[in-house]
Amino acid sequence: MFNFKRPRHKLHVSDENDLRLSDLKPGEKGCIVEIGGSENFRLRLIEMGITRGSEIRVDKFAPLRDPIELIVKGYHLSLRAMDAQKIAVKRIA
Amino acid sequence: MPETTYNIAFAGNPNCGKTTIFNILTGAKQRVGNWPGVTVEKKSGHSTYSNNRFDVIDLPGTYSLSAFSAEETVVRQYLESDEPDVVVNIIDASNLERNLFFTTQLIELGKPLVIALNMMDMAEEKGLQIDADTLATLLGAPVVPVVGRTGEGVDLLKEKILRVSTDISLKARSIDISYPRDIEQEIDKISELFRDNDLTDKHSRWTSIKLLEADKQTRDEVRYHQNGTDILNQVKISTERIEGLFKDTGRAVISHARYGFIQGALRECVVENLAESADQSRQIDRVLTNRWLGLPIFGLFMWLMFKITYDVGSIPMDWIDAGLVMLMDFISSLLPNSMFASLLVDGVLGGVGAIAVFLPNIFILFFIIAVLEDSGYMARVAFIMDRIMHNIGLHGKAFIPMIMGFGCNVPAIMGTRILESRRDRILTVLINPFMSCSARLPVYVLVAGAFFPENAATVIFSMYILGILAAIGSGKLFSRTILKGMSKPFVLELPPYQKPTLRSLVLHTWERGYLFIQKMGTVILVGSVIIWVLGYFPTEVELDRDYVDEKSTLIRHFDEELTDLESKFKISVDKDRLAYHSEMIEYESSSSYLELHEQYKLLQDEISTEKNKQLYNLRQQEIGDITEQKWIGRVGKIFEPIVRPLGFSWRESVALITGFVAKEIVVSTYGVLFGVGEDVDEGSQGVISGLRSSGMTPLVALSFLVFTLLYTPCLATVAAIKRETGTWAYTIFSIAYSLGLAYTLAYAVNYFGRMFNWLS
Repeated sequence: MFNFKRPRHKLHVSDENDLRLSDLKPGEKGCIVEIGGSENFRLRLIEMGITRGSEIRVDKFAPLRDPIELIVKGYHLSLRAMDAQKIAVKRIA
Repeated sequence: MPETTYNIAFAGNPNCGKTTIFNILTGAKQRVGNWPGVTVEKKSGHSTYSNNRFDVIDLPGTYSLSAFSAEETVVRQYLESDEPDVVVNIIDASNLERNLFFTTQLIELGKPLVIALNMMDMAEEKGLQIDADTLATLLGAPVVPVVGRTGEGVDLLKEKILRVSTDISLKARSIDISYPRDIEQEIDKISELFRDNDLTDKHSRWTSIKLLEADKQTRDEVRYHQNGTDILNQVKISTERIEGLFKDTGRAVISHARYGFIQGALRECVVENLAESADQSRQIDRVLTNRWLGLPIFGLFMWLMFKITYDVGSIPMDWIDAGLVMLMDFISSLLPNSMFASLLVDGVLGGVGAIAVFLPNIFILFFIIAVLEDSGYMARVAFIMDRIMHNIGLHGKAFIPMIMGFGCNVPAIMGTRILESRRDRILTVLINPFMSCSARLPVYVLVAGAFFPENAATVIFSMYILGILAAIGSGKLFSRTILKGMSKPFVLELPPYQKPTLRSLVLHTWERGYLFIQKMGTVILVGSVIIWVLGYFPTEVELDRDYVDEKSTLIRHFDEELTDLESKFKISVDKDRLAYHSEMIEYESSSSYLELHEQYKLLQDEISTEKNKQLYNLRQQEIGDITEQKWIGRVGKIFEPIVRPLGFSWRESVALITGFVAKEIVVSTYGVLFGVGEDVDEGSQGVISGLRSSGMTPLVALSFLVFTLLYTPCLATVAAIKRETGTWAYTIFSIAYSLGLAYTLAYAVNYFGRMFNWLS
């Protein structure tokens, strides 16, 4: 049920700062550092505005805790936790 | 002045209000078809403006031109073709940044472009002030602010479309999206190589950018250019350089750069004064997708959807039913006892009519779905249910057609159009028939009532559960085998809630409902006629029993009983009269005579009733016997050896074959076979006793139920599968798979049941 496959695009982040989008709690904001995963997946996210450096906010979790509702570029977007895990972020206070 | 026709393409992101503006522009004059070769809806219509005709195509909503999905491929192919004279890009002003990503690609494509800045009112509410003129200068294309809900600005949009399509200077004015210097250098290097290929500058720039984005389609085209090898070599060198500089793939670098351009443009023409409280949708979602309330509210909506569909739908359903009966009677009276009348009444009206009564349900259901879609709630359904549907390898939205399947698989399968990916659509279509539709319920009620009177509800309920399990199991199986790896990542936009317009609700409902009507006129009509032919021929049959003789014997027997009774009554009366002494009242008015007379009448009625009942039974046995001799009975006999291992007789074989037209026909077929008549319903005692005395055991009954649940969906469903998957391959696969699964499980029930001596 869980995807243990390594992302095809390795994330260039050092371990101590290895914070993923899926680690943020509802209400927290982050800044996109890098997107991992397959080329098609990465491109789809970039096209949807999840670009490096943009601000992203975790709005809430779905009733069954997955997927996650995000706010990016002023609109609402939803991703599965396993996909959000492929996105490295820096927490913004 | 002669009318000039211009081809206009409407393009834009999903949820940008594109279709609303298309509807305003074209009114009811639209046609819905499919793009050739794919099951992507193609909507076209036309509009006139000062003696010019606009042929408008509403392209499917897409986020980019990357050709990830069938929709994107269709959009890109159409926009790259010579057909469109003007592209109208509809943009959601309240979600400007992301919408402009697609616009950058359209600008690069180089077609004459008009930008319609939709939902200006919502953008203002959100605290965004957009300078449309500056935006137009920055993008090199006219920008027209419009409000789709009110139609404001649509006339100006028409004017701009006309001006762009006629004014050449406007076409040439378009700008280039500027990229970082290193990328621009590489674009120049590649496009220089196109000089010899007499491409326009615009086109060579677009092609060069696509090549840097490693676009497969463009690479394949360029390979056949005169200096294709040189170009591809340069692309390789350039890509390596860009990837080395930016530490990312060419596609990602260029997409990032597009957003860079957009951000630069927005800084110049948008003043933000965002107020979080203005995000009304977010306030609504605090309740509708709430951690605790989200699921119960969704459950309530689903319940309401079913309730309205079936309760409200049942009223016009009765009218249609009554109308059909009147029409049938009228035709029968016009052409008594002719083959043609039988074809019309029993074949065409009986078959198509059985499906036509579902029309109100289907239209109501489609209307409710249109409300859910247009309001934006459908995206929330996907959000709420994704965790569950993901287990079967499906998108959250697929839950809606699955639930609808409990009502009727036909609208449910047509409802898979709400899914964006073709793979998800096919998977949902394939597992949908296992959701036990309402047509199967009468069969369960009949058979379970006959063999499991104590536990009928449990047996029926377990059929529903078995159906769900079959759907889940098959879903898991398919997503790991035949439909493996085609899954798209779940990236779902949750658009702002909107009040749907009645016009678009009616149009949506009609478009989908019309497809159903079309199907009734074709596939179901043909199927019904085939079943009728099988049941009608041969017209002369030889029967083992002499029914005419039996009938007269029966009548004679009851007539004798009646005469007998009458003479007995007379004797009793005579006896009684002798013992009667009163002078006051005449004997015929005395209480003792009246008592005797009443008794006599009662017995007489009893005999008459018994007579009619036996005559009726005899008639129905005759019908059953005749059916056995008809082609349909013979077909049943032919298939009997195949279903014998499941414990079925030729009767089950016939019932299942006719059930292919519509599953509820299984019940009426049993009615005919057991000589109870076609007007049988699931509570009929005649069929129940017939089934019991036919040698069917409870075990066989159970295996029959399992088979009925799972086997080949009805004709209407098959037609819907063909329509929605677009290929016979998946249609035939679906038939074969469900037949195979039904056979295997029914066999298993029968086999293990006998092994352990259950229910024998």
